[in-house]
Amino acid sequence: MRFRRLAVLMVLLWSLLPLLWQLYTSLRTGSALISPQPGLSGWTLDNYRQILSGDPPFWRFLLNSTVVGLASTALTLLLAIPCAYGLQRQPARTRALLSGALLAAAVFPYVLLFLALLELARRFGLANHLLALSLPYAGLSLPLAVLLLGAAFRDLPPELEESALLEGLNTWQRLRWVLLPLIAPASASTGLLVFLFSWNEYPIALTWISRQELLTLPIAIARIAGSSVYTVPYGAFAAATVLGSLPLLALVVIFQKPIVAGLTQGAVK
Amino acid sequence: MSDVERPQGLVLEGLQRRVGNTLVLDHLSLRVAPGECLALLGPSGCGKTTTLRLIAGLDQPSAGHIRLDGDDITRQPPSRREVGMVFQSYALYPHLTVERNLSLGMELRGLPRERIAAQISSVLELLQLEPQRRRRPAELSGGQRQRVALARALVRQPRLFLLDEPMSNLDAQLREDLRAELRLLLCGGPQPVVYVTHDQQEAMGLADRIAVLHQGRLQQIGSPRELYDQPANLFVAGFIGRPRINVLPAEAGCIRAVRPEHLEPLAEGGLPARVLLREWQGASQLLQLETPHGRWRMVCDGRVELAESFGLGWPPARELRFEAGSGRRLL
Repeated sequence: MRFRRLAVLMVLLWSLLPLLWQLYTSLRTGSALISPQPGLSGWTLDNYRQILSGDPPFWRFLLNSTVVGLASTALTLLLAIPCAYGLQRQPARTRALLSGALLAAAVFPYVLLFLALLELARRFGLANHLLALSLPYAGLSLPLAVLLLGAAFRDLPPELEESALLEGLNTWQRLRWVLLPLIAPASASTGLLVFLFSWNEYPIALTWISRQELLTLPIAIARIAGSSVYTVPYGAFAAATVLGSLPLLALVVIFQKPIVAGLTQGAVK
Repeated sequence: MSDVERPQGLVLEGLQRRVGNTLVLDHLSLRVAPGECLALLGPSGCGKTTTLRLIAGLDQPSAGHIRLDGDDITRQPPSRREVGMVFQSYALYPHLTVERNLSLGMELRGLPRERIAAQISSVLELLQLEPQRRRRPAELSGGQRQRVALARALVRQPRLFLLDEPMSNLDAQLREDLRAELRLLLCGGPQPVVYVTHDQQEAMGLADRIAVLHQGRLQQIGSPRELYDQPANLFVAGFIGRPRINVLPAEAGCIRAVRPEHLEPLAEGGLPARVLLREWQGASQLLQLETPHGRWRMVCDGRVELAESFGLGWPPARELRFEAGSGRRLL
């Protein structure tokens, strides 16, 4: 028991220390950061003030990323849920074949697609449209999302749907009123994964968006510049990273409950 | 058309289901009259649940017809068959309250609100679930969940009731109480009732007639009494009646069998038996006996004092005789 507690503590330190280090860095002045003596002076909010007063201000990028993330998540779930439902209803052999293909698509390194995606963006005039970014994001997230949601559908006892079928509910009604509420936890965690992917995505966002006020978070952070080419603005980077992590923390806190709560409890037996 | 041409109730004609090369149900034909409760009884894998799923439309038969009140419903989608089914696992919607579990189907079919409310209230009252109206399935006891599942089947006023081992998840006491309740609720109404179980005691207590299935084939159909007194073959004789019937070795193409309750100790002679185990059950006692034909079971009055060893006899009229090869009963 004591060993387990220690192990948990170690894992927590391992994963949280870099974050705390960023927080620490973001609150220190440039000179305090490079000074060899750790002093009590040199605390400042200047780094935050600097990035928030930029043009456009930093919250604009946060907003851009949130919009893209929400749109990608919504689009992915909208397409993945019917797909997963359909997949789960296939005969075992078809299902295995399709799941294999989905898995292959899910692990495909998408950087290889990005030139082709760029051509598509040019051809269809998708460049510099914030919402257009959610098209490749949803497309790239779909295979994994379908697999995850398919597993969730498969975990539901088949009698639940059969019972609804016998009560005269059509396919859409069964999905909407019986199955969807029961896979809500899986949908929440899948949605969170999609949102995270969209939040962190770099190469596509870099190439599709060039207008300064439409940049997403990762690109905007990369473009933070110091006062001269010889200085690296560690403090500003750290402040931007901290601000960029806060919405994710909030999401996880909000969705923790539905993810953890076993809604299917008491369905059978 | 007259009633002769359109038989009321449920009729199965040569129903067959093949999965791959296995025949899980082989030409089952039977009829369940309105208000009659038919139990499908058999060991697991005998085809009883398959039959139920075919009637509900959840699986498709390879051959044969299903008629309900004269209409051929064999190819009708399950949603249009108007059957009320109770699943072994109850299949309650876990995210909905008891009330909503009952109303969902009717709501989505667009029935008027007042009618739904009235129907639900009367069923909840009938099953004494009124206090649990706003609870979710997870907050209910096993017996309450079972009653909600029953209520959900009742509330729609279906043309047919199908119950798939509805009591297998309940403890013995509750089962006995519910058996009577179930009989009062379902049987004798306008609908035929098909009840699947592997528990012969439950089937005997609940059903008007019992259909015994084994390896996809109907072995015998009849009243509990008929099945007990005149089993069609050795399988039915062994499956109906607890403790199990005692079987003598084949002799000149004939197998004789005696029910444990028909055995009696003789003053002298008879089949030598030694008591291995004695289970005293109050009114009766159950004896496991060592005999030259293997272990036999005997049931007799609880007050009878028996020696360690004695001779076994039975009235010849009580003996059942079966053909050695086919297992068919000889008259």
